[in-house]
Amino acid sequence: MIQAVVMTVPDEIGCDECFDKLNEFAEMELAGKSPEKALPLVADHLKKCGECRQEYEALLAALEELQG
Amino acid sequence: MLHWFKRRRQKPKSYRTNEEWVMQLSAPPEDEAVAELRLILVRGLRSSLSVYVDRDLEHFVEDIAQDALLRILGKLDTFKGESSFASWAMKIAVRQGLSELRRKKWKDISLEDLAGMGDDRNRNDIRSEYMTSSSAEPDQMTHESMIMKKVMEMIENELSEKQKMAINALMIEGMPITVVADRMEVSRNTLYKLVHDARVKLKKKMMEAGMDPDEMLREL
Ligand SMILES: [Zn+2]
Repeated sequence: MIQAVVMTVPDEIGCDECFDKLNEFAEMELAGKSPEKALPLVADHLKKCGECRQEYEALLAALEELQG
Repeated sequence: MLHWFKRRRQKPKSYRTNEEWVMQLSAPPEDEAVAELRLILVRGLRSSLSVYVDRDLEHFVEDIAQDALLRILGKLDTFKGESSFASWAMKIAVRQGLSELRRKKWKDISLEDLAGMGDDRNRNDIRSEYMTSSSAEPDQMTHESMIMKKVMEMIENELSEKQKMAINALMIEGMPITVVADRMEVSRNTLYKLVHDARVKLKKKMMEAGMDPDEMLREL
């Protein structure tokens, strides 16, 4: 919890904004482009929000399956 | 024509463009496009949720795909083409599936059930338990406990009742944000923002109290 407090920055985005970009972020990741550079606020949110991160990982797994 | 349909159905990959997807799924949606989207969702969900579902995966995945399908058709106009249509649709289905799993897992537990809610004595118990349950070395633990105690005081004195309730449920009890948001009758996004504001405030108070965040991170 302390870590969560210490890592806090003023301009974090919420789960909705993260979700808005999640498909874009995932496709960049799968294409080997660096989404964390293009969408740093999304990357930051994924570090801090366990549920968005879980959804992101599940999305990656699903898209890998669809590509394969 | 029939032959063409058959051939298409066997192909797991979609060859529709984003525009074709949107056009064919717009009301009234074409059966063939809906059926194909459902197959895509089921396939992606099966693969991504298998680690979370221990029985009747197939049934669960079908249900989620159906719910997600309705949701997708209902918000087609929010698809802006930043990715392939399948990726966009898949993220909606995946969120639906994981949210459902979280709700199922916690369905019988209310915020009031969580130890510590509404009863100060209980709350202190659980906090001290949390503070001492760390597996850190004894030396470190004392220091960690001291910091923890300070932070707990700040939480008690600086945050609103809603913020306290949220932090207790999320960070101490480990209840998922989706579920806490349901219980507090707010959106997950609103709850995230509420806790974010609380974190901003706590961090500010820590710095005012002379606690150096970076140093604390190194120590913990
Ligand atoms: Zn989130």
